[in-house]
Formats: sequence, C-alpha cells, structure tokens
Amino acid sequence: MEFFFQQLINALQLGSFYALIAIGYSMVYGVLLLFNFAHGDVFMVGAYIGFFVSSALLGLNIFGALALPLSVTLSLVLVLTLIISMALNSIVGMLVERIGYRPLRDAPRASAAITGLMIGIILETGNLAILGPQRRSFPELIQSATINIAGVSFTNKKILIVFISILLTLALHQFVRHTKWGMAMRAMAYDYVVVPLMGISTNKIALMTFALGSALAAAAGILYGVAYPVLDPNMGILFGWKAFVAAILGGRGSILGAGLAGFLLGFIEIFVATIFPSTMRNLIAFGIILIILTFRPHGFFGEPFSAQLRL
Amino acid sequence: MTTNSASTPTIRQRIRALFSRIWEPYRSVPLLGWLIAALVAVGLEQLVGLPLARGLGLTKIPALFGAVVILSKPALTPSALLFTTLIYILPIGIVARFTAPLTNRIAAKLAEYPLVVTALVHLVLLYAVLHIWCDITDYRLLVARLAMISIILTLSLNVVNGYMGEFSCSHPGFMSIGAYVASAFTIVLFVSENRFGEALLPPALGPYMFPLALMLGGLISAFGALLVAIPSFRTRGDYLAIISLAFMFIVKSFFENMEVVGGARGISNQPDYATLPIVFLWTILSIWIINNFVRSTMGKALNAVRDGELAANAMTVDTRKTKMTAFLFAAFWAGVAGGLFAHVLRYINPDSFGIRKLAEVLAMVYFGGLNSVTGSVVGAVGLSLISEALRPLDIFKWIIIPIMLILIMIYRPTGLIAFTEFNVEKIFLPKGRAPEGAEHASA
Amino acid sequence: MPLLEVHDMTHFFGGLRAVHDYNLSIEPGQIRGLIGPNGAGKTTIFNLITGIYHPTEGEILLNGEEITRLEPNQIADRGLGRTFQNLRLWRYLSVLDHVKMARYSKLTYGLTGAFFGTSKRVREEKATDKLAMDLLELVGIPHLADQIVTNLPYGAQRRVELARALATEPKVLFLDEPTAGMNPEELIQMMAIIRQVHSEIGMAIYLIEHRMKVVMDLCEIIQTLNFGEVIAEGTPEEIRNDPGVIEAYLGKEVVI
Ligand SMILES: Nc1ncnc2c1ncn2[C@@H]1O[C@H](COP(=O)(O)OP(=O)(O)OP(=O)(O)O)[C@@H](O)[C@H]1O
Ligand SMILES: [Mg+2]
Repeated sequence: MEFFFQQLINALQLGSFYALIAIGYSMVYGVLLLFNFAHGDVFMVGAYIGFFVSSALLGLNIFGALALPLSVTLSLVLVLTLIISMALNSIVGMLVERIGYRPLRDAPRASAAITGLMIGIILETGNLAILGPQRRSFPELIQSATINIAGVSFTNKKILIVFISILLTLALHQFVRHTKWGMAMRAMAYDYVVVPLMGISTNKIALMTFALGSALAAAAGILYGVAYPVLDPNMGILFGWKAFVAAILGGRGSILGAGLAGFLLGFIEIFVATIFPSTMRNLIAFGIILIILTFRPHGFFGEPFSAQLRL
Repeated sequence: MTTNSASTPTIRQRIRALFSRIWEPYRSVPLLGWLIAALVAVGLEQLVGLPLARGLGLTKIPALFGAVVILSKPALTPSALLFTTLIYILPIGIVARFTAPLTNRIAAKLAEYPLVVTALVHLVLLYAVLHIWCDITDYRLLVARLAMISIILTLSLNVVNGYMGEFSCSHPGFMSIGAYVASAFTIVLFVSENRFGEALLPPALGPYMFPLALMLGGLISAFGALLVAIPSFRTRGDYLAIISLAFMFIVKSFFENMEVVGGARGISNQPDYATLPIVFLWTILSIWIINNFVRSTMGKALNAVRDGELAANAMTVDTRKTKMTAFLFAAFWAGVAGGLFAHVLRYINPDSFGIRKLAEVLAMVYFGGLNSVTGSVVGAVGLSLISEALRPLDIFKWIIIPIMLILIMIYRPTGLIAFTEFNVEKIFLPKGRAPEGAEHASA
Repeated sequence: MPLLEVHDMTHFFGGLRAVHDYNLSIEPGQIRGLIGPNGAGKTTIFNLITGIYHPTEGEILLNGEEITRLEPNQIADRGLGRTFQNLRLWRYLSVLDHVKMARYSKLTYGLTGAFFGTSKRVREEKATDKLAMDLLELVGIPHLADQIVTNLPYGAQRRVELARALATEPKVLFLDEPTAGMNPEELIQMMAIIRQVHSEIGMAIYLIEHRMKVVMDLCEIIQTLNFGEVIAEGTPEEIRNDPGVIEAYLGKEVVI
C-alpha cells in the first residue's frame, strides 16, 4: 500500500512535467493549429535559464543582509527564479514565434512543423556550442525533508512540485476563461477569421500564446531541475515528444485536457515501470497511446476536426 | 543615393546577363553530353588527380570537390578551388560544349530505339561515373552509398507526405524493421559469429540471396505499416501524425528490448553485400517503380485523396485501398532502404532510427520538394552532400543546416522542386537544334 | 421498372430531421428537378443517394438492386455520377487528370501495371486519355486540358466537374446547382451543354436548381422540398401553379 502511494506521488510528479509542457503545445496547437516541435527544447532552455538565474541569486546572496533562516532564503530564491525564468523564457518563446513561425503563417502546416524541428535542433546545438556537452547540476532550492502522512512517507519536494504545477495550470485556465486576452485566444482557436474583426491582431495573440506556453515550460524546467538535479542539452527531446503526444491525446487546444493527459502519461509510465522491466516503459506507454488514438481518434477532449483545419 | 539605388538593379541584370551568356551554349547539351563530360572529368581525376593535388600543395585528392578542405584548412582554399576547376569545371564545361553536336546526334539516334535501351545506355554511363569517382577513396564510396539510400528513403516518404499529404513520422520505424530483418537474415544464414553461431548456408551463396533479405525486410516492414494504415481510414492529419509517431517510438523501444538482436547495443557483423553496384541498382529500381506509380492514374489517386477525399470517393476512387497502398508501399521501400543501410554501415542499433533520423528524412523531403521525384532526389543527394561537406564545422553544422532549411521553408514552403512530374521519356531527348546559330545571336 | 428508386428515406443529423419519408423513382433518360428553399435538405438527399451519408431509414434501389449501404465509390462505379454544389476539385491536379481520375474503377491494370508500367497499362492510360479528351470536347474545354484547375475561371471549373462526373459513365447524373454563381451568358452555355450531354449520352439527369428558368426549361418532372419533406411533385406547369410551392417560397423574390 505504501509502495502504491509512493508510486502515485512519483507518477504525479512525472505527470506534472508532462502536463506543463503539454499545455504549451496544446495552446499553440489550439490557437494557431501548429505543431510547435521546438517546444521540448524551449523547455530545455527554460531549465538552463532557471539554472543560471538561481545560481546567480544564490551566488549574489542578495538576501544575506536579511539574515533569514536558510529555508526561507531558499524559498525566496525559488520563487524569484520561477518568476524571472518564466519571464525570460517567454521572450525566447516569442522569438521562436517571430522568427520561425510568423513568416510561415499562410504556408502549409507541415512546413511550419519542419521549421519547428529545425529551431529545436538549433537550440540544442546552440546550447552545446556555448556551454559544452557536460551536464550541470541544479542548485538545491528546497531542503529535502521527508513527510509522513498516515504511514506513507514522501519528500516535500515532490509534493511541492505537484502543487506548483497544478496551481500554474489552474491559473492559466482562469486566465484563458476570464480575461479579454484569453477570450481572444479562445475565439481564435474557434475561428481563425473573427479575431482580426474583434480589433485584436492575430500576431499579438500568437506572441502571447507562445509567451505563456514558454513560461510554463520554464516552470517545468525549473521543477525538473529541482527534482532530478542534472541538466543536459538533450533533455528536451524525449520529454518534449512525449508531452507533445500528451497534448494531442488531451484534445485540440484543450488546456485541462492536455494537463490531464500529461498526468495520465506520467501514470502509465510509472506504473508500467513497476510491473514490467523499466526498459519496456516507452514501448508500453506508446502502445497504449496507439490503442487509445486508434479507437478515440480525436483525443479525450477534442472535437472531431473538420474542414476548418487549414492544411 | 539615387544613382546608387538606380544602379543596383543594372549590376544585377548585368551579372544575370553574363551568366545567361555563358550558359547559352549549354542549353543544347543533352543529358548524354553531361554524362560523357562527367566521365571525362572523373577519368582525368583518376589519371592525374593525385600528382595535381600534390603539386597544388594538397596532401590528397579533395574528397568532396574541395569543400571539406576549404572549411578545415582555409589557407588551402585557392589550391582546392584550382583543383576543382582544373579537374571538374573546365573539363566538363569544355567537353559538354564541344561534343554537343555529336552527343545530340547520338541522342537522336537513341531516341529511335525503345526507351529501355536509351535508359540503359544512360544508366551504364552514370554508373561508370559514380564508380570511378568512388574509386578514389573509401570515404566517397560510403558517402555515395548513403546518399543513394537517402534517395530511396526520401522518395518513399514523399509518397505519403507529399503525394498523399499526410504527415507521417513513422519512417525511421519502417527503416529499422527492414534493417533488423535483413541483418538477421544474412547474419544467421551466411555469417559465423558469436550471437547466432555458425552460418547455416555456404557464405558464397549470400550475395545472391541478398535481394531476398531486403525484400523480406521490406515486406515485414510493410506488414507493420498496417498499424498506421488502418487508423488512417478513420482519421487524418494531426492525429494520424501522432499515431505514426507513436508507432516509431514503439518500434524503437521494441528493438531496444529485443535481446536476441542485441537490445540497445545493436547488432553488427553484417556481411559486406551492399556494394556500390547493388545499392545503385536498388536505388534505380526504386526510382523507376515509384515514378511509374505516381504517374499512373492509380497513383494520382493519392493526390485526389490529399486534395479532396470526399470527391475522390464519389468519383469511384477506392480511398481505403489507396491509403493502404500508399502506406504499405512507402513502408516497403523504407524497409529495403533500412536493409541496405544496415549492410553499408555493418552495424546498427535502435538509436540509429530515432528522432534524429526522422528529422533528417523529413528535412530531405521538404527541402527537395513535395510531390516530386526530382525534388526527392535533389533533396536527398543535396542534403547528404551538404551535411558531409560541412563536417569540418563540427557541431556548427547543426546550426547552419537548420537555418538553411528554415530559409527554404520561408521562401519556398513546399520545397525547392515541388509538384513536378518526372518525365522519363523527355530527359533523354536531344536538345535544341543549331547551337552555333544561338551562339551568334547572343553574342 | 424504374432505373433508380428511393423508398421512405429518412435521415437525422443528431436531433435534426433533415430528410423525411422521401420517395423517388427515376426512369431511364428522364430529366428531373429538385427545388426548395435554402436548407430544405436537397443536397442531403443527393449525399444520401450517392452514399456519402447512409440514411437512418429507407432503402435505395438501382436497377432493382439495393445500394443503400454501399460506399460512395461503389455506388459511383455502379452508375450514379455527381457534381458538387461547392466545387470539389483537386487543387494540384490538371483538368485532364481530373477527368481521368473518375475512370479509376474502370482501370484493370492493377498495382502491377502501376508499378511496372506494363504494356496493358500503357494501352489503358492511352485509351483513358482519349476518352477524357472527348469528354472535355463535349463540355467545351479541350484547350484547358493541361491547366491546373485552381487557375481556371469559375465557369470552367464547373465544366470540369461536369466532365469528371460524366467520366464515371453515370446512368443517373446528379447535378447540384450546376449554374450557381454563373453569369447569364455562362448560364445559357451550361444549359446548352446539359442538353447536349443528355441527347448524346442519354442518361437520366437529376438536378437541384435555384434558378427557376433552368429547372422549368430542362425538367420533365419537378419535386419541391421544404423542411426535408416533398410538398409537391409534378410537371413544370403543375409546380408553377401549386399554392404550397408558392407558400414555401414566400418572402423570397423568386419569379415562378
Ligand atoms: N453534415 C451535416 N451535419 C449536420 N447538419 C447538416 C449537415 N449537412 C446538412 N445539415 C443540415 O441539414 C439541413 C439541410 O441541408 P442541405 O445542405 O441539404 O440543404 P439544401 O437544401 O441543399 O440547401 P441550399 O439550397 O442552401 O444548398 C440544413 O439545416 C443543414 O444545416
Ligand atoms: Mg445544397
């Protein structure tokens, strides 16, 4: 039983990363009908930005004068790192949109997918070229502690990671539901043509969509750094593709759908790994996805897409 | 300012005029002429290449037209350029131009024979050029074979992604099925080694059975393609893309878990059956068959499904059969290419068939051009050569190539040579009459 | 025996009853018309008969044989050819290829021929070329054979659709608003073409039209549809004077 709950927490943690990245994919996909294949690498860049920001904050020791207890200092650093890195990474996302996708707004969608793939490769290689191939270890921003609830023990890190991801997901959901910008995004997802009529420029919405998605990806990157404290330039590839699959599984443009599918993927992987040898993880996870999509070809929350898809 | 801006176009026009003046006489050179000229050039390289290279201060003959030399030792740029000019550009230019009347006459004669004869003559010449060119170094031999395998891969992916307009991501999966099946076949039967033990059949028989191994690989790969083809009846576009992607991951991790074929470490000791002529033959065969297919009304049904499935269905087109054919056919060729690939490198592991491979093949298809056989050949050969030529740049190569592709996508979203028909009957024909007259007119 | 019969056909889109208890019987060589206000369900009836949707209830017989559950390509192969209200041409194919494509099910060279270019294939493709050119001749656009359809004016595109439908060798030709969006000159040409096609090939024609002049001039029998139900059926003369029809069209400026 205890083992089960621990695996549950592990699944939730892994699912958090997938969920946060998948939401970024899903938003871009919902609003612009694009596969942003660079998103996994935007996640990687976010993790590195988080690494540098947190190292800088710790190195400068800006809270040193306040003589706070270590745990409070670290929490402040974590929050600041999240905020700053999310802001910086949203700039990265906007650059990706501006350079890689906007010129292709009216091109066949496959061409844009190719551009995305290529931007991803540039980001990976750029990282390798600038920082070299060695892995980096992420500074410890949360002091490990083991919490014991009803006989089941787990680390505070995992709880916090899951908590932050769910919080961010819900915040985004609220944003999209209730603000003018969010409404415009949804309008655009519904019908590409009306948004310019509403007096909001398509380009601005596109930029905002990328910015939001990249900010969440940065959060995922930092939390990833907190959980497994090693970063390497290729970390975004497999993670990104899996999150992408989760996004599609969730259904076109559905934020909650993508989030849930992200968690689902986490569960599948973790529980597969407990039952079967861990090398079978991808095999079975993707096998399940293949079966789901064969029988539910539009994902869980998506509508059957129709002629309005611009190919 | 004003004079400046006014004079720019004229400079451009002048350059363009200059180029077209130089090019003018070459308009009347038939394919045969170019092949003969190339043959002369590679023959020349074979005879005097090494002494010339030494004389120019190069240690050996530049492997890829000097590009590698220029990028790795910039100081030798003039020598490399001079070498390429003396061995390739000048001889080809001179021979092609001055044999044009003769080659045109031969081409006209050949046109009277059945197409097969004409095609064979050209293919023999093409092979001769390739053979002599590859004779210089093993590196060239490797590059040429891999480039030809890329042609098969690109062309077969184009059938699904270009001609039928789906975004299939499963090609590395199909390729790996072919690679593993063909490898297991040849190693079990004809190689004595640790994993599978003694050869079951006399190794001398191997090369003759190699086509069987490749076809078996292709067929099993086509069988695997059912997993993608059947969902394609109900869903298209994005969800199908994901299904195909999931398929690719499944195949990859399937082989990672198959300890019989080496698991993640892969499998080696494939016999050296994928020689230059063998790869050449399979490449030509694939181009011929695929081109035949896409030019037939049966093949154009793929385009009809792409551009309007409903209308195709209402015009008697069996869309299910069409989709099935496209996926299985493409997977078959990807499997064959995989088998060749395994026997060229003589070592494969599941990582050879991952996302990187996918990015590479997709790039070749979209670089060369959708819905075009010529485009696929250009895309495959072009990207293979560029990628080899940029090798000295190390990892910066992976910044330059993506940027190049992005630019192509921006300025030509469907690729360099898209939506064309490769008309075999026309390419062998003699070119424009009376080259002298044209020359005088332009002078 | 009638060529095509439809018995008590009903179709629902979710909760919407688009077609209700529809009956039809077409004799060989007959020209029939189907009229009715926008959204009456005319196109849906065409889609049901040609197999694009399968009806919720009812049966469709061609030459006495049931075709209700067949796939569109099978139905088309058996002799129900059609055009679409909103042109559905293939963006990157030439005019000639459009017409040839509709011969798909009649080709017998199979995949062997397609892959290896057998002499049988060469022969069949040549014959198909000739047939397609003849049809283009019939609809008056042989000179456009090599054009890509997207470059053509609207009227020419409608002719491509017609030639393509003819290439399926229809026993009944379904024309969904063949003159929609045409100017008066094109309209007259189109009517002449339809007449000519009918007199040369002699198949039955079933057409949907909003322009009364076209229907009244061409058709022997006209059905009027409103909210998925037939409210009148008869000769042009009868339809012209039917109070129910006038009622259905009230508020629309249509001169009957
Ligand atoms: N695929 C579909 N799903 C749901 N409803 C549909 C579908 N196709 C048509 N309808 C509805 O069925 C009704 C009949 O449509 P239909 O296109 O047959 O009308 P029509 O008589 O051809 O009209 P028009 O003259 O405008 O072409 C309409 O209310 C339409 O909205
Ligand atoms: Mg209609």
